[in-house]
Amino acid sequence: MSVATLTVPTVVHAPGNAEDLTEKISIRDLDFYYGDHRALKSVTVPLYQGKVTAFIGPSGCGKSTLLRILNRMYDLYPNQRATGHVRLDNDDILSTSQDLNLLRAKVGMVFQKPTPFPMTIFENIAFGIRLYERLPRAELEDRVKQALERAALWEEVKDKLGANGLSLSGGQQQRLCIARTVAVRPEVILFDEPCSALDPISTAKIEELIDELKDDYTIAIVTHNMQQAARVSDFTAFMYLGELVEFGETTKIFTTPNDRRTQDYITGRFG
Amino acid sequence: MLSIGRRPVVDVALQGAGISIVDHVDRAKVLQRLRLGDAVFRHLTRGAALVVLVILGGIIVSLVWGSLPALRTFGVSFLYEEVWNPVTEKFGAIAPIYGTIVTSLIAMLIAVPVGLFIAMFLTELCPMWLRRPIGIAIELLAGIPSIIYGIWGLFVFAPFLQQYVQPFLIAVFGEVPVLSVLFAGPPYGIGVFTAGLILAIMVLPFITSISRDVFEAVPPVLKEAAYGLGCTTWEVARYVVLPYTRVGVIGGVMLGLGRALGETMAVTFVIGNAHRISGSLLAPGTTISATIANEFTEAVGDLYTSALIALGLILFVITFIVLAIARLMLMRLNARVGA
Amino acid sequence: MNSSFASPLYAKRRRRNVITMALSYAATGFGLTWLVVILAVLLWEGFSGLSLAVFTEMTPPPGSAGGLLNPIAGSLVMTVIAVLVGTPLGMLAGTYMAEYGRYDKLTMVVRFINDILLSAPSIVIGLFIYEIMVAQMGHFSGWAGAVSLAVIVVPVVVRTTEDMLILVPDTLREAAASIGLPRSLMIRRIAYRAARAGLVTGVLLAVARISGETAPLLFTALNNQFWSLNLNAPVSSLPVVIFQFALSPYKDWQKLAWTGALIITMAVLALSIVARILAAQRKTS
Repeated sequence: MSVATLTVPTVVHAPGNAEDLTEKISIRDLDFYYGDHRALKSVTVPLYQGKVTAFIGPSGCGKSTLLRILNRMYDLYPNQRATGHVRLDNDDILSTSQDLNLLRAKVGMVFQKPTPFPMTIFENIAFGIRLYERLPRAELEDRVKQALERAALWEEVKDKLGANGLSLSGGQQQRLCIARTVAVRPEVILFDEPCSALDPISTAKIEELIDELKDDYTIAIVTHNMQQAARVSDFTAFMYLGELVEFGETTKIFTTPNDRRTQDYITGRFG
Repeated sequence: MLSIGRRPVVDVALQGAGISIVDHVDRAKVLQRLRLGDAVFRHLTRGAALVVLVILGGIIVSLVWGSLPALRTFGVSFLYEEVWNPVTEKFGAIAPIYGTIVTSLIAMLIAVPVGLFIAMFLTELCPMWLRRPIGIAIELLAGIPSIIYGIWGLFVFAPFLQQYVQPFLIAVFGEVPVLSVLFAGPPYGIGVFTAGLILAIMVLPFITSISRDVFEAVPPVLKEAAYGLGCTTWEVARYVVLPYTRVGVIGGVMLGLGRALGETMAVTFVIGNAHRISGSLLAPGTTISATIANEFTEAVGDLYTSALIALGLILFVITFIVLAIARLMLMRLNARVGA
Repeated sequence: MNSSFASPLYAKRRRRNVITMALSYAATGFGLTWLVVILAVLLWEGFSGLSLAVFTEMTPPPGSAGGLLNPIAGSLVMTVIAVLVGTPLGMLAGTYMAEYGRYDKLTMVVRFINDILLSAPSIVIGLFIYEIMVAQMGHFSGWAGAVSLAVIVVPVVVRTTEDMLILVPDTLREAAASIGLPRSLMIRRIAYRAARAGLVTGVLLAVARISGETAPLLFTALNNQFWSLNLNAPVSSLPVVIFQFALSPYKDWQKLAWTGALIITMAVLALSIVARILAAQRKTS
């Protein structure tokens, strides 16, 4: 596909829905290689602004790989490269002139394993803010509070902001990481299996969070839990063996998928 | 809020990052400014890594440079001549080389089996509560500076050997064909044998701790499979543990050998400093490092100094080869384990 | 298969097992005995000479009383300089190997070379510094002594820094990168922080290592009978003084040598204990 056919933003009218959808991140013909091994094959999929897009598929299908391209996380490791077109608004993410740190400030990520920094709860959040802005004391504290409220953690930690981040429970640590991510004010948030290490109650809390966050952010979530995808997302992409098999509105994918493979996966024939 | 003095920790942590935006948030500008410091840091670390190579290169170059006068004068004969006469300026390295090799050999012959047995004890027989204390004791032994071994050897060990052990050895082996030569009198106390023994005690903790670490890394399922067949503890150690850890053990042994070859202070005190090769192990001798330690500051004349530096070069080459082999073996071990 | 426990083969196997197990007990006892003997003698001989005078008076000429003030001071000064010079160098190199160049060729080579330098004979290091500093400057000096100790510090710090930084999980690095933190800031503010205890342990181990080093000082800093903190001239140090006094025929010099040996050993022990406590704290955090 030539560059000339790429127009941004792409407004799509989803069938049976008068809503205007803006493509926040557009992915076209994306290939990804670990050394010589081709892990992603010509993936083309949109991420719509203000919507939650879930990526599902069996282990090794490439969904986490895809997510980690969106903030160029793979750049940290040798022998990994991506070809194709990935654009954030008008910006070519894959270009070598792309400022990676700036990109990552705009596209935040929450990882599978909660990773608070070895600092106090307050510092964990303030650290990211202070990287970009010099704020007076009161305003900084305000911002930290906002981020923690956004992550539904404020009530639980407001009396112990000086405690070490690692002293929190798993679910709280993950919400701390979410607070840290939103404190930096990104435009897109990527969730890479955020609940797989958590108990059901924490999982429910985080799913609620994602639902609230989508008002202000574009969200992509990778999950191996199909029910979670069905609960949380507006759009779903099913991937298999490095290919994007099917993409569409979540309700449609889970009730009347077009592709046989999608059907088989959703009904548990394999997985 | 957590603070140091009157400033929040966050401020302290990020000060010096060079950020001073007053009002408007402009992230691109901030990151641009940080980019220079980022690059500087990266180059600094790279440079520091190169310095390590430079140090090695510098050692080799300076040793070669300093030995040139001696090597040019004596040529290859330096390696096998025994005479060492500062007055006539005739120098030959065979006595120190012999001493270095023989003392290290004695040390390894004793330290390796003992070390392996201690490692086996620690991993198989020792009750749990004793393991850490004994492990700490081994580390203590390893941490004692070599000069302590030296003076202990001189004032306590050598006299002890002279009074009790050496006469015993001379008497026992007096009639035995080969050993009577090796253990011929008189009992000096100090000498090649004593130096070898002290080295053995010094090297023992290295062999022990490396062997213990490798032994502990054997997957329990492997040992359980052997025990399950009815093997005794010894048989498990001999037929399962040792073959599995062979490469690591050899690497550890080579490491210990490298240490023994280069050891200076412990040996200097008890070797006797005689520039000759004697048939008997109980006689005094010298090693490369002991020679350098004893004579360097008194060396008069460029040729004398150069001869000593040449000795240092020979020692460096020998230890370099031994340590390189040790490293290669341990690298192979890590590759296999997938570390 | 014969499962009779009275079979001669089984008896032989059992006997062999008992013998080898006894040997391992014996070996352990053997090793521990030497430790006890050495420490006991050290305490006995060194302690009896220990007094306030040791820390306040200079090294005496043979036949008179004195102390170890100048060698202790000299050792302290040279050790501090060696650490100040060697630690940043070693840490930066270790940082490169663990962070920027973790997978590249340069790191493999440096790691190999560094491990060799780690176990290289320290007398050779002394010769090296002699050639490039003492011979060039025309005289022995405390600077040369400090530099030769620094050369010993560097490989230790490189190794521990690299090992400790590699232990920091990649997910922590990715988390820092995901908010746009530039590499160097991530290393300095996050990775160093996470590995802090290990890095300090490395420095303590390096100090313990150089505290007892004699050979490299023999012909770099040489020795100095009198009080002198002029690093441009020979400087006294504890190990070298012990060397000189122990090999002498004078009884009071020998006594001082034992006391000095005790002081060094106590210092090394203290450092090892502190390093050990830090390592244990790291495990529990």
